[in-house]
Amino acid sequence: MRVPLSWLSEYVACDLTAEQLAETLTLGGLVVEAIARPSGGTRGVVVARVERIEPVAGSDKLSLVEVDDGRDRHEIVCGARNFAVGDRVPAALPGAVLPGGVEIGRRTLRGVMSNGMLASARELGVGDDHSGIWVLGDDAPLGADLTRWLDLDDPVLELDLNPDRGYAQSIVGVARDVAALTGAALTLPDAPPLPASGDTGVPVDIEDPDRCPRFDGRRIRGVTVAPSPAWLRRRLAAAGVRPISNVVDATNHAMLEVGNPIHAYDVALLAGPAIVVRTARPGERLTTLDGVDRALDPDDLVIADAAGPVALAGVMGGQTSEIHPGTGDVFLETANFTARTVLRTARRHRLFTEGSKRWEKQVPPETVPLAAGRCAALIAQLAGGTVTAATDSYPQPTPRPVIRLRPDRARRRLGMALPDARQTALLRAIACDVAGDGDGAMAVTPPAYRPDLRIEEDLYEEIARLEGYGNVPERVPSSGQVGGRLPAHAARMRVRRALAGAGWTEVLPFPFFGREDLDRLGLPADDRRRAALTLVNPLSAEESLLHTTLLPGLLGVVRRNVNRQLDDVAVFCAAHTFLRPTDDEPGADGGPDGVTLPAEPLLLGFAATGDFEPARHDRPARRADVYDVLGAADTVRRALGLPPLAVEPTDAPPYHPGRAARLLCGDVAVGVVGELHPRVSAAFEVPARTLAGELRLDRLTADGVRPARPAAPSSLPPLRFDVAVVAAAAVPAATVAAAVRDGAGPQLTDLRLFDVFSGPQLGEGQRSLAYRLRLEDAGRAFTDADERAAIDRIDAAVRRVGGRLRR
Amino acid sequence: MTAPDLDGLRDRGLAAYAAADTLDALDAAKAELVGRRGDLTAVQRSLGDLEPEQRRSLGAQVNAVRAALAEAEAERRAALEAQRDRVVLAAEALDVTLPPRTPRRGSLHPIVETMEAMVDVLAGLGFTAVEGPEVESDWFNFQAMNIPADHPARGMHDTIYVEPLAPRDPPGSLVLRTHTSPMQTRTMLAKPPPVYIAVPGRVFRQEAADATHLPVFFQMECLAVDADLSFADLRGTLAELCRGLFGADTRIRMRPDYYPFTEPSADVDAWVPAVGDWVELLGSGMVHPNVLRMAGYDPEQVSGFAFGMGVERVAMLRHGIDDLRLFIDNDLRFLTAF
Repeated sequence: MRVPLSWLSEYVACDLTAEQLAETLTLGGLVVEAIARPSGGTRGVVVARVERIEPVAGSDKLSLVEVDDGRDRHEIVCGARNFAVGDRVPAALPGAVLPGGVEIGRRTLRGVMSNGMLASARELGVGDDHSGIWVLGDDAPLGADLTRWLDLDDPVLELDLNPDRGYAQSIVGVARDVAALTGAALTLPDAPPLPASGDTGVPVDIEDPDRCPRFDGRRIRGVTVAPSPAWLRRRLAAAGVRPISNVVDATNHAMLEVGNPIHAYDVALLAGPAIVVRTARPGERLTTLDGVDRALDPDDLVIADAAGPVALAGVMGGQTSEIHPGTGDVFLETANFTARTVLRTARRHRLFTEGSKRWEKQVPPETVPLAAGRCAALIAQLAGGTVTAATDSYPQPTPRPVIRLRPDRARRRLGMALPDARQTALLRAIACDVAGDGDGAMAVTPPAYRPDLRIEEDLYEEIARLEGYGNVPERVPSSGQVGGRLPAHAARMRVRRALAGAGWTEVLPFPFFGREDLDRLGLPADDRRRAALTLVNPLSAEESLLHTTLLPGLLGVVRRNVNRQLDDVAVFCAAHTFLRPTDDEPGADGGPDGVTLPAEPLLLGFAATGDFEPARHDRPARRADVYDVLGAADTVRRALGLPPLAVEPTDAPPYHPGRAARLLCGDVAVGVVGELHPRVSAAFEVPARTLAGELRLDRLTADGVRPARPAAPSSLPPLRFDVAVVAAAAVPAATVAAAVRDGAGPQLTDLRLFDVFSGPQLGEGQRSLAYRLRLEDAGRAFTDADERAAIDRIDAAVRRVGGRLRR
Repeated sequence: MTAPDLDGLRDRGLAAYAAADTLDALDAAKAELVGRRGDLTAVQRSLGDLEPEQRRSLGAQVNAVRAALAEAEAERRAALEAQRDRVVLAAEALDVTLPPRTPRRGSLHPIVETMEAMVDVLAGLGFTAVEGPEVESDWFNFQAMNIPADHPARGMHDTIYVEPLAPRDPPGSLVLRTHTSPMQTRTMLAKPPPVYIAVPGRVFRQEAADATHLPVFFQMECLAVDADLSFADLRGTLAELCRGLFGADTRIRMRPDYYPFTEPSADVDAWVPAVGDWVELLGSGMVHPNVLRMAGYDPEQVSGFAFGMGVERVAMLRHGIDDLRLFIDNDLRFLTAF
């Protein structure tokens, strides 16, 4: 909504500057996005008459033009030739400023001094015409300041209105709020009395009064269609509406002034002539004023004549009955349509007009008579016709709600000490009718122009807004509760911190992927991750599924960084994934309609490539390998205070069948990490041997962080010794370690694998694993016999898993 | 026998120690004086042959010389050792300006960290952070928030729809949540008042990414419902939150606004000292009675306030970033700066 201040000031006597008014309105709920000045900062451009034109030697384009501004004569060099001696033109004399701050000076062109410039409409920022110098017409007073003469300095407030502020879609509505917010005097426009006759000669039949509650028709005979006078053209242009002709401009003027869209028909072009307000019939079409031939939907509300639709109700008129230069007999439609009707039609046809925008924010039927009266009077004034008849159909007037206001509750809900009388005064300032209702309550009847006021809380907002939101005190409630994070959330934070400390960088890829990503992962047909949820209107066609695994997103991050020559990547993310619910993993409650929601497992994903430890002056680089992702998983479990995870080799896709591990916490599967299958790395265009992994963060963090419960360290000397176990290389290290641990017994406090060795002296397929052990006992000191006994027990234990001790 | 020249022995010894310019020379000089074959040792050994009277007197003199020599030797030894250490340790010097050995550096995403910083402030104000599903039913996302079908406010939410999972669920019944507000109703349905929750989480809109909009972003929703909460409580909570996030000199300003789920409603601008201007920050208001009713609460018994703010907006202000797309680009050069 664009509000020219000069127009606004016709209704409200407010002496604030445009900037002050903008601030007042914005803080009062009508957001002023910008203050436009059509002049764009133009200064010092005057009206001058052309006295003489002569060519400039050596140029076939330039002329030397002498102009007279009523006081002095000036010689100006000019490139255009669309004017003649005697024409009045805009002259920017030295010192003048054009839009954008361009200052005009004297300069020499082809050896001839030019004292300023003559300007086109576009150069002055008042139009698109740049075909030549703007020839102003003989009524332009010589020497007049052009911006002042054209009213171009009038500031225009550009409002961005909230959906509940429909009333401010008119100059009068804005004026009402200015008056209420500043206390300035308000002068509302009035309409001339209705003509005596109710017979317009154009019968109106409203088939659907639910969607068209009111319809005012007026007949104006004997109009002469012509361009509007300059004041009206300027005013409409400032308000952002293109001037067309006096009749059409009058309808737009009334719409902008009062807020009710109006449509004018040429009666001679109406079949019947008769009007029916009905829904479109199957197969009906309408060519709207924008020249588009539209197939109508049976849900579209139309204005039809005896032959068919002539307008899309509330949205746009049709071409067949358009006002044209020969129109002499006008039928004026000032109707009321419900917001939803117009909104649906506007969306369906992607046709958002000044009219449809107003209906969407709700216009009350009570606006109709004033709008119709103002428009008809203006047409008669400008086009010279006579309003011969008027008919107003409003079969079921909207009841005005009476809202019970409890001033004490208002004070408590607002936290503002507003006496009853103050509340009453504020509501009366917006034309509410306030009466006592007993019990200290008030009966408040909002004015017709405020259909947005329906419940008691709506009045609280009005009271607070008019008193000033700035006067709401600050009070911090005592929640009486200990705030904070739930255990799983706190645990997740600890996991993220631990991973960042261990060299992993957190990323946030979008949770979408495509069907192709599932193929790239090589997942089997029955894999649960293939049953991804589909987006109806995805952001991009390539990523139309909700992800079921974090890997494609993470691999996208790897690829993008490697492509930017950032070769060393170690990233993680924690995010919801989306799976079809099962009995074991149901979705959340979908609400009273029983809608099925997906299960949303929270996963922690990893991806790494390049050097995990970059080269240094004192140490070569170390490539990331599978033990880095296993290390990440171990970092996670340590951060959570969990015992070591059980590790089992796995050949599950998308991993390398010999380089991946399934991880368990107790007997709960918590994830898989490993090197990607070479085909998967290739398919995702990430470097070969890229590492990845996914953990069930929801399962790992379900109980929060487990507090450590360590035994007190022994003060007696520990027993420390090494053992080397030889076993088939096929026996997993974890099996050997478990046997050593088992043999060492409960006194073992530290077990460390410090060497892995295989060679011909051990035999084909054999390897040696060397461990350093530390045993502690708080109760007694160790003897040599204890060490021999422990080694014997370890020997026996490793033999049970097919190994032996190297002695 | 003639009396030994103890004074001469002492002076010679002191001179020898003083002349020793290495620890080895000092050791040699010491051996000549007090070693097994040393001159003073020889004198001492000869004492046994003397009369007791003479032995006592000469013995005292020998001890005095021995003490003087020992003191001189220790002093010289300390000096020579310090000199040796200077040389040896100087040879062991390292260039301490070489790069330090730090563990590989990881980092946390600024958006998640900003969100956690917001949770910290809200936790201090007594709010508990709760999280909910990202795929929501139309009922929780819209209807329970007082946005029925056909409501114009739906046009403000460019919703991404999800194909329903169950055959009987109608089209449009499943959405990617457009705000974290559904947790308001989920929480109120699950427990009686009072409720003080903060809801951090990811939300979705069908719109193109540009410098100030993202289709996938994070929001922090807050809800307080209690016996007698007011607009002033909302303002105070917001002021404390903004001061916690942007510094003690931060001020806030409220403007009337419209949300279907609050009445009265307010847009909140913060005057952020680091920016030196008013910054539009969040939408807020008193919980609409319809929202309370749909969650099974009685608006005559309780009242509440709610607000929702974009986490990215706060992160931009904290870190002086003017293009939101940096947050979703996942470029390691950007991320490892945090």
